[in-house]
Amino acid sequence: MLPTAADGAMALEGLRILDFTRLGFGAQATLICGCLGAEVIRVESTRHPDAIRVMPPFVPDPGAKGEGFGAATLANAAGAASANRGGIFYKYNTGGKRSITVDARHPKGLALLKDLVAVSDVVTESFAAGTFARWGLGYDVLQQIKPEIIYVSMCGFGHSGPDVSHVTMGPTAQALTGLTFMVGLPGRPPAGWSFSYLDHVGGYLGAVAILTGLLHRRRTGEGQHLDVSQLEPATALSGALLLDAMLNKRPSRRADYPTGNRRLHPPAAPGGAYRAAGEDRWVVISCRTDDQWHGLVAAIGRPDWTTDPRFSSLEARLAHADALDELLETWTSSRDRYEVMHALQAAGVPAGAVQDAADRLERDPQLAARGHYTALGNAEVGPLPLEGVPFRMSATAPHTGGILHRGPPLLGEDTTAVLGELLGITADEVEALATEGVLS
Amino acid sequence: MSGPLDGIRVLELTDGTVDYCGRLLAGLGADVVLAEPAEGSPSRAVGPFLDDIPGVDRSLAFWADNVGKRSVVVGGDDADSGDGADSGDGADSGDGADSGDAGLLALVAGSDVFIHTLRPADAARRGLSFEALSARLPHLIVCAVTPFGQDGPWADYLADDLVLMALGGSMAGCGYGPGPDGRYDTPPLACQEDQALRTAATYAAIAVLAAVAWRGEGGTGQLIDVSAHECSASMTEWHLMTYLCSGEIYRRGPHPTLTGADGRQIAALTPDFLGPHVFTRMLEMLEADDVAGPLSDPAFADPGHRARNYGDVWRALKRLAEKHPAEELYRLGQKAGLPWGVIRAPEEVLDDHHLAARGHFVALPHPELDRTVTYPGAPFVAHGSPWVMQRRPPLLGEHTAEVASEWARPTTQPPR
Repeated sequence: MLPTAADGAMALEGLRILDFTRLGFGAQATLICGCLGAEVIRVESTRHPDAIRVMPPFVPDPGAKGEGFGAATLANAAGAASANRGGIFYKYNTGGKRSITVDARHPKGLALLKDLVAVSDVVTESFAAGTFARWGLGYDVLQQIKPEIIYVSMCGFGHSGPDVSHVTMGPTAQALTGLTFMVGLPGRPPAGWSFSYLDHVGGYLGAVAILTGLLHRRRTGEGQHLDVSQLEPATALSGALLLDAMLNKRPSRRADYPTGNRRLHPPAAPGGAYRAAGEDRWVVISCRTDDQWHGLVAAIGRPDWTTDPRFSSLEARLAHADALDELLETWTSSRDRYEVMHALQAAGVPAGAVQDAADRLERDPQLAARGHYTALGNAEVGPLPLEGVPFRMSATAPHTGGILHRGPPLLGEDTTAVLGELLGITADEVEALATEGVLS
Repeated sequence: MSGPLDGIRVLELTDGTVDYCGRLLAGLGADVVLAEPAEGSPSRAVGPFLDDIPGVDRSLAFWADNVGKRSVVVGGDDADSGDGADSGDGADSGDGADSGDAGLLALVAGSDVFIHTLRPADAARRGLSFEALSARLPHLIVCAVTPFGQDGPWADYLADDLVLMALGGSMAGCGYGPGPDGRYDTPPLACQEDQALRTAATYAAIAVLAAVAWRGEGGTGQLIDVSAHECSASMTEWHLMTYLCSGEIYRRGPHPTLTGADGRQIAALTPDFLGPHVFTRMLEMLEADDVAGPLSDPAFADPGHRARNYGDVWRALKRLAEKHPAEELYRLGQKAGLPWGVIRAPEEVLDDHHLAARGHFVALPHPELDRTVTYPGAPFVAHGSPWVMQRRPPLLGEHTAEVASEWARPTTQPPR
């Protein structure tokens, strides 16, 4: 009899990931596995803390106001005395991850890490290509320690190719792969993204790589190196644009593209963001079918629009989209964005408020009802509404706190416990190793 | 060579919004079959089309996300693919699980994983609810991908990608900055090509892989409930934490870009937070080009001084940019260890020698058109289990007969 949901079974229970990832991209991959039940052990350094731990915005003391991202400078970061206050760390390190600190450059530290590799299933890292090998932990070494080890490297340009030494952050990879270009109005420079979308997407594919390694090992008994870059996961995100350029000779670098919020395939009219009541408030409306159009005109009380020859069919509405948008905005602009959304949804019209972070947290009953946020903290930081994986599984429910149901770890908080549990090292021995500087 | 999902049968019945999920699973070796109505899956009607001539076998949007699958035409009148993202709330429904779905049910019975985009009520009406299916097929993994998930106050709402990008928060953070009067004269912008739905499709694939791993041999399946809204809401990196930490909301505006001598732009990040070496090497680059100006003053080695005089840093970078075309500027920055990237149009990645050297692009023959088409390939390099990519996207109904006969045999599950 296999466990059911009531048993608290988790899909990746029993999978141990020795996790050397830093910043967002790699950490996204292991947080997904952690939420699915894998045991994720972050291997960190007190001398060189993960930048994401010491980078603003900082989590303030309860009740206090913190510094905003606009103030993000090294000077501010240096002002943060703790390695546990970097806010974005808390975005990327849910999943019940544990944290140990070991100095890989100390011979005894390296030996400890090798012992941990021997009892792990997966090793993940996101350093620049070659760094991990220089530590003495290249795939050849890992393989000698444990032939069936699954090694997943996650680095901007991957571990091979002529530009292997290039460095990326999300926005770099977004620029290089066309994603920055795909956000903008015609005739203007690209507007791009204000966040590292590809840290997320790269991390999703990192999780797919970990699962690929696991399934392949089940089947063959063999380990392997899976080399994840931030570029390859992005090429499929431009959909048909590559094919249109190649086959129809229609490059997307052209005067009338990208088309802002208008979509060419399949087209919608009206389709876009419309000004709502309030300062810089917007609501999105998207009508692709005649049913949706009739729902719209009924909902806003303008049945006369249906007899206007300019709007008699989708083709006609597309041809007169500017005029239609202007008319529609006279209706939306005096109304609350949520009022518009609910009225149109009630009439069968796809519509949605443009929500910011506060809206998602405080004004989105759907996210609340779905339990999108889980309150988790640690000994230094009080409970924060944190995110895990955005899906449910009926038999192996994911948990944002992972199998341990806990919040993101303090730097090194699990060193003693992990070395004890996995390597049988006593607390006294840990103390001695710490004194020698092995655990820094 | 077989992939890690070799022998796993995946049936897709979708409204065309999450075809990318099956493409990923096919790349891992799964036998992915698209169940289509006689007129074709909705994504076959989405342009652009080959040579701009519409046709069920000519949609490039369909091609992009359906490489590696097979196609089966199922059923009669009620074999539509349901009403997922944006096609009305049951408006196109039949009534009762009629005979049209018999062929579909037979395919479901032969599969390991059933991915669909049906709302709960529609799934139930067609005898495709998880409860009904799992009673007969305990091994079956069902993955339902819907705009808002199976329940909740907005569960019946409609959404296309634009609505999902708006509600999820990506859009609020993207677009042009305000005018001199502080008022935004342009709206927030959503990226083209269905990014929220692609994220949902990717998460669906992750969940399916996890469910397959857990099921192992002879184990039970389960229901995976993917909410595209939640997927969209979870992909804005620092925005939520910034609000939680500071109470501040990010307002959209310009990002650090430099315009090269050829008028093209690069994303020009100067991530001081990574350490003092970032500025040191940037200064060497600027001095080598004689454009460092005041930055050579040792005072600039202090990050606080730099932060207070960032205009000087930026002016020096602009002087550098004016001397080099964007591609060259990108490589200059990279040589100095800066995470700079030239802003390319999507199709310009086809010329990228790095991706080419990693064997990323794969040419697949389309014999019926007497041509070969290049597709983006593996999303990562798996040295032990190479990406499976031999089949071009299927013609409508191309595999109806062969799948009916192959899938009539019980599915064989992998050894655990």
